[in-house]
Amino acid sequence: MVNTDKSLIGAHLQGDTTAFGELVRRYGDSVLGYLIRMTGSREKAEDLFQETFKRVHEKADTFRGPRIKSWLFAIATNVAIDGMRKSRRLQVVSLNQKLDCDDENCEELSAVAVADNSYEPSQKAIMAEQKEQVRQALELLPARQRATLVLAYYQQLSYPEVAQVLGCSVGTVKTQMYRALKTLAQRLPDISGVAK
Amino acid sequence: MNRHLTEQELIEYEFKLASDVRVSEIAGHLEECASCREHLKKLQHKFASLDLLREEVKASDDLISSVVKQVAQPVRRRIISFSKPVWLSAAAAVLIVGSLLLISNLYKDEDKVAGPEIVKEPEGKTSYAESEVIKEKEVDSESRMVVGKMDERAEVPLLSDMDTKDATTGTYSLVMGKHKSSLEKDFQDSIDRLAVGGDIKEQISEQAPFAPASAIELVVLPRRDKVQLTIYNSADLTLVRERRNLTLKRGWNWLQFMWANTLIDPTSLSLEPLAQADKIDIQQLVFPARLRELGRWLIRSEVSGQVPFEITYFTSGLSWRAFYMGTMAEDEKTMQLQGYVRVGNNSGEDYENAQTRLIVGKVHILDQIAELAKRQYPYGRPIVGGAYGGAGMGGFRGEIRDGDRLFGRDDHAWYANGVFNRLGELERKEIKKEGLSEYFLYSIEGTETIADKWGKRLLSFEAEDIKVKSLYKYDEERWGPQTIRFVAFANDEEHNLGQTPIPNGTVKIYNQADSEGSLSYVGGADIKYIPVDEEVELNLGPARLVKVEPTLMNYKTENYVYDRKGNITGWDEVRTWDIKITNTRELSIELEITRGFGTSYWVLQFDDKDISYEKHDAAHARFKVNLDPRSKRTIGYTVITYHGVREETVTEITK
Repeated sequence: MVNTDKSLIGAHLQGDTTAFGELVRRYGDSVLGYLIRMTGSREKAEDLFQETFKRVHEKADTFRGPRIKSWLFAIATNVAIDGMRKSRRLQVVSLNQKLDCDDENCEELSAVAVADNSYEPSQKAIMAEQKEQVRQALELLPARQRATLVLAYYQQLSYPEVAQVLGCSVGTVKTQMYRALKTLAQRLPDISGVAK
Repeated sequence: MNRHLTEQELIEYEFKLASDVRVSEIAGHLEECASCREHLKKLQHKFASLDLLREEVKASDDLISSVVKQVAQPVRRRIISFSKPVWLSAAAAVLIVGSLLLISNLYKDEDKVAGPEIVKEPEGKTSYAESEVIKEKEVDSESRMVVGKMDERAEVPLLSDMDTKDATTGTYSLVMGKHKSSLEKDFQDSIDRLAVGGDIKEQISEQAPFAPASAIELVVLPRRDKVQLTIYNSADLTLVRERRNLTLKRGWNWLQFMWANTLIDPTSLSLEPLAQADKIDIQQLVFPARLRELGRWLIRSEVSGQVPFEITYFTSGLSWRAFYMGTMAEDEKTMQLQGYVRVGNNSGEDYENAQTRLIVGKVHILDQIAELAKRQYPYGRPIVGGAYGGAGMGGFRGEIRDGDRLFGRDDHAWYANGVFNRLGELERKEIKKEGLSEYFLYSIEGTETIADKWGKRLLSFEAEDIKVKSLYKYDEERWGPQTIRFVAFANDEEHNLGQTPIPNGTVKIYNQADSEGSLSYVGGADIKYIPVDEEVELNLGPARLVKVEPTLMNYKTENYVYDRKGNITGWDEVRTWDIKITNTRELSIELEITRGFGTSYWVLQFDDKDISYEKHDAAHARFKVNLDPRSKRTIGYTVITYHGVREETVTEITK
């Protein structure tokens, strides 16, 4: 039997330690992905990931809805914005890993190379640079716009769901989304002709 | 619609931001207008680049398990219901106090017996004590360590002795395995002390009790008041100093410390009273045989009541690393630098509100703390039949005094196996650090809670208006055909730094992109430890806006020398180079170019007399060029290299 989100939260509140683990496993990837795109750094995202689920644990009894996703992303958004406020620089932390390529990113690049033998080194370099440009363009967006874009585009939440997460109207979400896209249209690289 | 669609309309259409009616209108227009379709296609291409970041993210099992472990404890609000009527708690408190008063009156005569006599009472005669032994075992099996864990259990008491709980503060002031009559005696002691103004009326037996392996008469450590962590990163070593208020009874007290499932080094445990030191004597630290991962201190106290103590020990599993964020001003002449430290805790123990200090510098230790922590017996196997009875014996009388805070100085069987010598060295390293200042102590302001299996990023310092020097370098032999950007500053007062050495770590540099404070990423570099007054040069990676393009314009050989047989024995090679430099930045720049000639015998001459070079090494010359914003410049030079017997010529020239 598949446990619903609500039943998992209920079980967690009753002291079932495995229920919370299942919740984290169920939504861990998407929450971590969201936080990485929000912060621009896996390391910071992992810190905020722990903080997010700590808050989920603490506020478990405030969960009312049938599905946990919006509630979870709302907490993650607050945690991310709090984290940015605390660090004061978090909104501009680069995702650039070219110069301080850690193991993970290096692995990522080599994985691309292995997967596609036809990849020319120059193409790879161009793609890495374009990826970097996209990351920088995202980083320069104000936090609310970035959250809106990441939730709607990458996390594929509908606009009403994004509105629920951010605690605002659908109209506000669309305005934020438009502003984000308008800014990005100026800053994103044109990738036509480059293999993805 | 007689006009072309605007970018806004196309974005609204592409991302379904407009109303359905509007979307269908735009769709209708697009069917008819090739120009708008083309415009839309371009936008789609632009936004397609967003998919470059659509890689799948996977939360690692370690991350998930650390989160799950962190919250594995029961939800606290389910334990204590605040909805219960207040009068219920009040009534319970009245009942508890009433019961204690009644018992103390009933046993008043018996209470006149001095403390040590209770200690000497055989365990077997006291059913209460036995039951408490069982309770202690329950705690053993459930708690990782009595120290620091009992406080968390304040809301979930494992002991049934609710009457030992301080009704006003909710913390356990005493007692695990405590003798019933001893409880009553404590109560009477307090009354007696009040009656005589705190004077001690009874004599304490000079004979120390011998009951290290039993679980009676134990004082359990209460909540930490303060904790200080000093993390020696290079050696996986952390010094923990805790301050706790212990409630002692007059006479002999056993204090139990457990380190199960932590990485605490039991051989480093130390206990010291912070008040009433002349009236409190810490006589022994015993590691009872057959009982694992616990130690017991024997404390002789002439006072009864709360006394602040400091407990120190080493643990492993705590680590830190530094990283920095620099933001350069628009003119790139100054920089704001923020230093951060990420502290990770895998020690098995939570540290709440800990003052955190970080040690920069290397520490040499003889033993790995983690290995010491896992030993069954803290000092190796017990010494059977030794002069003092081995581990678990009660004969060790090493006194803990100033100057040797770990243990005593008495000759002892443990000395024989050299363990104490090694411990002494461990302790001396701490003294060395402070006394000789060979290491630098880096304190994090305020206190932080660092839970087990969690990492925490802390702001370590922030400096404004640090003067920086931007320099571009071109050296084909080192970096290939690209210009590398450097930023240099010094860790000194002139640069608003110099208060402390800067630990090694990663630095990321940003530029102020506009007056609104938007930033753009410039580059990142790893820095090594920067002592005070030392300069540092950060390699920020390739600079795309400054190009250097050397072109070989002419090459010829001349001045051939032949031997008597007509073989060539010497010649000159003459190369003429043009170096085209382009600065597309809005700022003027300084560029350092290094050129190599493949031989030590060369002569270099620039077309422009204003340019001079310095000999970087035998085969390389280095020169600097300044360029205005958005400018180009071409520098020409001729280099003659001498080969064979002609090499002697260059020596003559340089002479």
